Amino acid sequence: MNISSALTSPVFQAFSAAAGALVIVAGAVLGTLKLFGKRVGHAIESYKGWLIMIPLVLLTMLLGRGAVIVAVTLLAAFGFREFARATGLYRDWFYTGTVLAGIVALGCATLVMDPRLGAPGWYGLYMAMPVFVIAAILLGPVLRNESDGQLQRMSLAIFAFVYFGWMFMHLGFLANSMHAYAYLLFLLLAVEANDIAAYTAGRLFGTRPLRRAISPKKTVEGSLGALAVSLAMPWLCWPVFPHFTPTQLVLIGTIIGVGGQLGDLVVSTIKRDIGIKDMGTTIRGHGGVLDRIDSLIFVAPLFFHTVRWFHGL
Amino acid sequence: MKIRHWHYEPVSDFGRPLTERLRQCPREPGMLVYALRLVANLLLRLSLRTVFRFRVHGRERLAKPGSCILVCNHTSHLDTLCLVAAIPVSRIHRTYPAAASDYFFSDFARTAFSSILINALPFDRHHGGAESLDRCASVLGRPNTSLIVFPEGTRTTDGEVARFRSGVARLAQSTGLPVVPCHVTGGFECWPKGRCLPRPGRLELRVGEAMHFDETTDVATICRELRDAVITLKERQ
Repeated sequence: MNISSALTSPVFQAFSAAAGALVIVAGAVLGTLKLFGKRVGHAIESYKGWLIMIPLVLLTMLLGRGAVIVAVTLLAAFGFREFARATGLYRDWFYTGTVLAGIVALGCATLVMDPRLGAPGWYGLYMAMPVFVIAAILLGPVLRNESDGQLQRMSLAIFAFVYFGWMFMHLGFLANSMHAYAYLLFLLLAVEANDIAAYTAGRLFGTRPLRRAISPKKTVEGSLGALAVSLAMPWLCWPVFPHFTPTQLVLIGTIIGVGGQLGDLVVSTIKRDIGIKDMGTTIRGHGGVLDRIDSLIFVAPLFFHTVRWFHGL
Repeated sequence: MKIRHWHYEPVSDFGRPLTERLRQCPREPGMLVYALRLVANLLLRLSLRTVFRFRVHGRERLAKPGSCILVCNHTSHLDTLCLVAAIPVSRIHRTYPAAASDYFFSDFARTAFSSILINALPFDRHHGGAESLDRCASVLGRPNTSLIVFPEGTRTTDGEVARFRSGVARLAQSTGLPVVPCHVTGGFECWPKGRCLPRPGRLELRVGEAMHFDETTDVATICRELRDAVITLKERQ
């Protein structure tokens, strides 16, 4: 991945064109709805957020592998920061610092070459990283000679590192793949399409709540709609990864359709337990970083290992 | 088996926009902010020493444990920088220069500069003075905190020490904390009010002995005594 390969890559060009077309179509639809007096205030705010995020994503991809890995590391760090601020772990510098150092270490492991295989990205170190970071987190109470409230802090730190750091940052490791543009751009597009489909299908046909105690607005109909769209997406994008078999396309579609919904519910559970509505105010019309990447966190590692199992990186 | 519920305590400025979070005082600790402030402070110390040949007399009085109010004459923007560069590095995150909210917190760039790099406390000098004084008192309630106040309310236009406004006296009365008089010399010559950028010169900070006041001393007397103490430091040169 670099600037010249991005500019000559048909996959990058196709996804950029598709993103541009989607932005124009969505803008036209929203504009028309507004003209007819429909209440689309929230959707327009969300649309304005996309107008900033889409060019940023494409620019990062254009800049190449390093930029993607740095961007994913920063997203993980800011996502963790939101979680730490929401739970109060933020005030504890030892745990916050250890998790942030772990996230940076994951970024480095993704960026360097594998010393044995010579391939980009030190896979073995990346996969072993939770062992070292969890060991460092568990040192906290011992170093301080303190036990009061430490179990909660350790648990929050370990969960945050594994979920928002290690699991999410598999996305960055995809930048080391031979098919980096295809995998990354497809994953981003499919996960967002899954989110939007769940919202739209829920608004149009939704009657039965999916998990009332966690997220009252989500409906069974919305989830099924999202699953249908996610199952269709790999087939639509088949030309960008022609080496996938039809069974694998169905598997990828299921992972995104189900995983995307679960990722959303995981972050909703966290928010509900803490008693907050949004994780932050970073992205206009979307809430915090974690509110935006919630589905990706869950899907990225599942997608990564499925793809790697069948085709290597 | 019954598992005890966890108790979450989100940061006090959770969910508020960035500008509002920066205006809040005392702020929630953030590693990035602390690191930026530390680097800025060290660079400030270096540049004051090289460009302005900055010297401090009575530095040890700024390092005494416990909270205190630092009162200084106001000759230029350099005064705040001098005081911030004179306190021990370990206390920079607990030292709050009271800064006019209508100037230093008027837009995002100034707010970010004042709050992140200087750790300024927004002080409303025109209206809502009582609210600002409450904020000062709440900040001073924390251990080992210093509040930097310029009781003249604005920078001097003639180099002289103007009349002290009553806020600082009321704060000293209500908190009962020691008040340390300070005097900066050279600020007026280096960066007078109305001038766009400072010119190199010599800056000197003199720190006096801490003064104690109680509720029985009246506001006018405290103001007078503090102003006299600051002027005495100036004359001692």
